[in-house]
Amino acid sequence: MLEINQLVIKLGDNTLNYQRTINTGETVTLQGVSGVGKSSLLLCIAGFVKASSGSITFHGKDIANMACDNRPVAMLFQESNLFEHISVLKNALLGTVQITEEALMEAANALNISDQMHKMPTQLSGGQRQRVALLRTLLRPEPIILLDEPFAELDNHTREISASWVANMAREHNKTLLLVTHQNEDVEKLGASNWVIK
Amino acid sequence: MTKLSNITGLFFILLICIITLLAFYGLIAFSGQGADLALLTDSYFHAILLFSIKQALLSTLLATLLAWPIARALYYLPKLYFKPFFLSLTLLCFVLPTLVLITGFVSLLGRSGYLSPLLGEQWNLYGLQGIILAHLYLNLPFAIRAFYGQLQNIPNTSWILARQLKFSAWQKLTIIEWPALSANFALIFGFIFILCFNSFAVVLALGGGPQSTTLEVAIYQALKYDFNIGEALTLAWSQLFIAGCFFMLLYRSNSVAWLAKDSHLGHWQNTHSTISKIAYTLIYTITFVFMLAPLFALLPGVFAASYTLTLFTSISEALLLTLLLGFSCAAIAMVIAYWVMLPIRQTLLAQQTQRAIILQWLANHSLIAPAMVLCVGLYILFLPVIDLDRYGMVFVVTLNVLMVLPFAIQQIRARLIQFDRDYAVLSASLKLSFWQKFSIEWQYAKSILVSTFALVLLLAMGDVAIFSIFGSDHLKTLPWLIYQYASSYRINEASAASAVLLSIYVILLLYLERAKSNA
Repeated sequence: MLEINQLVIKLGDNTLNYQRTINTGETVTLQGVSGVGKSSLLLCIAGFVKASSGSITFHGKDIANMACDNRPVAMLFQESNLFEHISVLKNALLGTVQITEEALMEAANALNISDQMHKMPTQLSGGQRQRVALLRTLLRPEPIILLDEPFAELDNHTREISASWVANMAREHNKTLLLVTHQNEDVEKLGASNWVIK
Repeated sequence: MTKLSNITGLFFILLICIITLLAFYGLIAFSGQGADLALLTDSYFHAILLFSIKQALLSTLLATLLAWPIARALYYLPKLYFKPFFLSLTLLCFVLPTLVLITGFVSLLGRSGYLSPLLGEQWNLYGLQGIILAHLYLNLPFAIRAFYGQLQNIPNTSWILARQLKFSAWQKLTIIEWPALSANFALIFGFIFILCFNSFAVVLALGGGPQSTTLEVAIYQALKYDFNIGEALTLAWSQLFIAGCFFMLLYRSNSVAWLAKDSHLGHWQNTHSTISKIAYTLIYTITFVFMLAPLFALLPGVFAASYTLTLFTSISEALLLTLLLGFSCAAIAMVIAYWVMLPIRQTLLAQQTQRAIILQWLANHSLIAPAMVLCVGLYILFLPVIDLDRYGMVFVVTLNVLMVLPFAIQQIRARLIQFDRDYAVLSASLKLSFWQKFSIEWQYAKSILVSTFALVLLLAMGDVAIFSIFGSDHLKTLPWLIYQYASSYRINEASAASAVLLSIYVILLLYLERAKSNA
């Protein structure tokens, strides 16, 4: 169980407050107007933004004071998810443990990017880059998955395929999934509970 | 692992500082006295200090001001003749062993030099003009290369936008070009100033008397002729203080903002009038001649030398030792430079700017520490306890590593810091191991790491000062052999040995430039 308890993040003059309990294996979509602090919350859980007060616990263990390297979290950022100077395949394998190339290609196939794996990131479109990063994040062993607008650059058809792949993977591996989205249909497709931040 | 690597980096910084402290301790303990503070009010000291600053300032101003139009020529006219060769030559000039340069300059502009009759009776290579000319030869190419690199980093989109907005030449200069250059201008200016301020071999060969002596040469004279350690220490502390202050300021003003990710994009072709094209080509040609002339001046001596088996054997053995020492120094310096950068990068990421500046200053301090003090201090300290005839080479390697380390750090730091700016968060998020991160960094920075290795290899191969103290009689490096030939007036043999050393430099440069462009 992931517990966000009286968490306070200060960004300049803004003070953001969060309170939520998320069950293990649950998928939660995060919505709210721009600037309300959705990405900041994900970055705080991942360890890249420091909280002013409150706690984040996972299975009863406080993770808020852990170094980001030690947190049980895999995160997809809004942008800059790939190293530009190494191949897509090498990028996709980073951070994953004991994933064979076959398993990776299977996942890539499901996301329609299997023919892009031997290219360099600069040769890919925004949507293809997004799916490579999505694939890697979901294949990582960490039990908490944080996705910051993972489908933002995808067309409707690809968005549908990707969302259903994410939902399957999360269910199959019992991942606790928290993702930011502006699209209401994503909530339904992912079978998620919605958390609207005000 | 990150913690361990940071600690290792800090350990290396500490080790570098300890070596310097030991050298100073060696001198102080031997003489049983501290610095001779009375010297600070002596007119001799004032004259040396003033000359050190004057010659460094003039050399740096000339090098940077002249480099600008030449870098523009290279940038705006991409199809200049022999351009890759010109760029390799600029690197060669910067790393050229001073003795080879002096031999070339003397043949060209000395009392009976080929060009001296054209310069009138007033001309004298020895003194301020000769020193500035030699400093210009060594540092102008460095400034050209640095400015050219900065100009190449201007994003194409800036030029396209400028064209679309119909910018005047002045607007292009002030809005696009100058910001690109000014980002690292202070750093380049300061770096050249420190090199000239601490200049030793050039001033020793072309200077003379208190009117044209730098602090570094005065330290050497105080130690070698008078063995006045008190005076040497005062001069050394003064040099360390002045160059150190300058160095500290440099690290505050440094910026790498222009080393953006899209720097590899193709070059937008600006259009130029025929007159400006001719002017640029002329400037380029004059610089080409200036860089080649002292090297060609070695040729008559090379042809006149008698090539005996003894000469051949001496040169071959010396060459082998030079390569061995050079490669060892360069490899060790690169490894240390990378480790030393780890805690510095960590502090920069944590936005602990003050701590980062201090760490960088400590890691690079051998750039400003007087080489003579380091050598003589360590020699005196270890002479009673270590068989220096036997283990002298260990000191040659150690001190050479110390001398080339700031160059290695200086070259790789911008690229590594840029890597952190682009990817530190992603790397942390992926929880990469040290070796995974290193492997990705290697691919990102391979080109700069390879070219830096080349630079420090060539710098280490040119050493004479350290070898003069710790080298042995039966083992000689090629620069030391050149020095021995030249000092016994065997100029033809000196020219032949210089030509061999120069050829090796050219081969290594061409090979490594190719490796760099393929990386």
